[in-house]
Amino acid sequence: MSKIKAALGALLLTASTGAPALAEPVTLQFWTTEHEGQQSYVLAQEYDKKHDDITVNIKHVDLGNMLNDLTRAYATGNAPDVVAVDNPDNAMVSSRGVLLDLDPLIAKSSVIKPDDLFPGPRNSGTWKGKIYGISRGSNTLALYYNADMFKAKGLDPDKPPRTWEELYQDAKALNDPARNVYGLAFSAVGTEEGTFQFLPFVQTAGADYDSIASDGAVRALQFWQKLLDEKLASPDTLIRSQWDSTGTFNAGNAAMVISGPWELPRMQSDAKFDFRVALLPVEKDGSPRASALGEFNNVIMKTTKHPQEAFGLLEYVYSQANRNWNEFGMMSAVKTAVVADPKWPAAYAVFTEQLKYARARGPNPNWPKISKAIQTAIQSTLTHQTDAKTALEQAQKTIKPLLTQ
Amino acid sequence: MTAFFRTFREGSGFDAVLILCAVAYLLVFSAFPLVYNVIMSFQSVDMFSITDFNRPWVGWQNYIDVINRPEAWLIVKNTAIFVLLSIVFQLGLGFGLALLFQQDFPAATFLRGLFLAGWIMPGLVVGTVWKWIFAGDFGVLNYVLNHLGIVTGKIFWLSDPAYSLYAVIIANIWLGIPFNMILLSVGLAAIPRDIYEAAELDGATAFQRFFSMTLPMMRATLGAVVSLGVILTLQQFDLIAGLTKGGPANSSNVAQYWSWQLSFETYEISAGSVIAVMMIAVVIVVATIYVRSTTNEQSA
Repeated sequence: MSKIKAALGALLLTASTGAPALAEPVTLQFWTTEHEGQQSYVLAQEYDKKHDDITVNIKHVDLGNMLNDLTRAYATGNAPDVVAVDNPDNAMVSSRGVLLDLDPLIAKSSVIKPDDLFPGPRNSGTWKGKIYGISRGSNTLALYYNADMFKAKGLDPDKPPRTWEELYQDAKALNDPARNVYGLAFSAVGTEEGTFQFLPFVQTAGADYDSIASDGAVRALQFWQKLLDEKLASPDTLIRSQWDSTGTFNAGNAAMVISGPWELPRMQSDAKFDFRVALLPVEKDGSPRASALGEFNNVIMKTTKHPQEAFGLLEYVYSQANRNWNEFGMMSAVKTAVVADPKWPAAYAVFTEQLKYARARGPNPNWPKISKAIQTAIQSTLTHQTDAKTALEQAQKTIKPLLTQ
Repeated sequence: MTAFFRTFREGSGFDAVLILCAVAYLLVFSAFPLVYNVIMSFQSVDMFSITDFNRPWVGWQNYIDVINRPEAWLIVKNTAIFVLLSIVFQLGLGFGLALLFQQDFPAATFLRGLFLAGWIMPGLVVGTVWKWIFAGDFGVLNYVLNHLGIVTGKIFWLSDPAYSLYAVIIANIWLGIPFNMILLSVGLAAIPRDIYEAAELDGATAFQRFFSMTLPMMRATLGAVVSLGVILTLQQFDLIAGLTKGGPANSSNVAQYWSWQLSFETYEISAGSVIAVMMIAVVIVVATIYVRSTTNEQSA
């Protein structure tokens, strides 16, 4: 009797291990900060439907909680398989050794070609020469302006500002306190968004986060200060997110706003005027163009039991890059993706051009601390607690030891 | 063996089990996190090593590092102002309202109940509502102040460092008044009515009745409300998150929010723990004063 049992057991064992073709159903856990209807959900659900043996469980996590929840889940052994992390955080997570090195999988992949990614997105997912994250898309900043207001104030709507001086002069001309109109809206809030908006100004002036006390960065901060001091931008710029700042533009309370392509769908319905998009102004004629690089990278946790299937999801997202603009309000991170018949063609052309100059923040495993130092400098200068030079020198002091770690 | 079980059913064993349950609960959910937090404040903690006990020991270095940060003293000062003003006004206005609703007038109890509506609202919602009130360009408060002729021009309540802390305090006072009022109402209701009648017959004025009778008899309640107020004010987080996020330039930042920022925005978990430990120390002092004052009250 016991012999029969043993034989039966052995038979069952070989049956289950010897037939990988009838693969066990695989369940992937996918965490994203997006909501139902946005890219992560739509593409993961499609991937799920295309593979009978794969189920994708998608979980929404707020951006502010993402890394904390991930840390906790990792600590208790419940980490998800795939996570969408904000691109400046990618290096930090990679450096902690909790992500799967994607190089071996990419080497065998017929879909993902790292050389086809724009340099910014590719760098953001790379740490010490290895790729840990694949950008699901990208976005960048440009200047939106209200062409009707340009006309009303005698400015040429076909000639948006190209330099800081022109931006300043136009903002001054458009500023109309009696009608509650500010010349310009942007965000200098004390979060990652403030850094995101500030760095393009620093970069066009020839500096960057790793040379934040240099003259260019000081000029950039002084320029922001001038805009606020002369009330060409609302004092609430200090506490408003990009989304809220753009809200004031849509409502006709700011004549220009600096923001990204994610604003277009809302602007389309809320803004009752002729809005147009221009490249971000450079410091002066001949200064280098610069812009920020936004969007998230899909990464695979090292603890996953299904690296193949998880990577398959990354491949699928990559392969659908040409849908990013029209369906998901983001730019593609893949150079070869072709958008046939883009919505808002003029804006699309500007953002596509602008993306060429978008630089990744970092990559640096200490990015949150670096960014915080920059935010502190911005805020203490704009509130006149210190001057731009002193504030940025303080930031430099904080940032310098973080660069070499 | 049966004797062993019997003691759990009806003897001292049962008492012991009940006590053990409570002690176990305290150990697991209070003592352990507290000790764990203290240990973390002396270690170098990385975001992905929060479950390892074996982390580099750095001792007081974390404390020195936190105290020497340029924003440290501003935040300590802000926290002191935040707690002090919040408590004074919450208690003062709460007490006033409690006395008012103690009077017999139509719908007194109904109105008192209505006041609780503010208190049951989540801090984040309250933050959002006050954000509209305080908004610089289109805020309700500026509109009212301008139309009453009290100020001309706009006050940027939330983005002007001269006002931001006070804006948060005003919202926090509003949020805390109902709680103070209810606790104090309970205290007032416990004072026997007849002694007031006796005092009135003896010719004591309302003023005298309040200072010689009401206030002394409310001592224990007031002590409790102040202590709880300090603890709750030091816990106030979502209101700050909803209104200013401690900004601009830390002008409205307070210890509890700073602790969170360090732990979960820049992932300096040890530094965040240091602040939490220092706040625990303050709360222990407050709690000790409270316990001592109420024990004296009972024995007196």
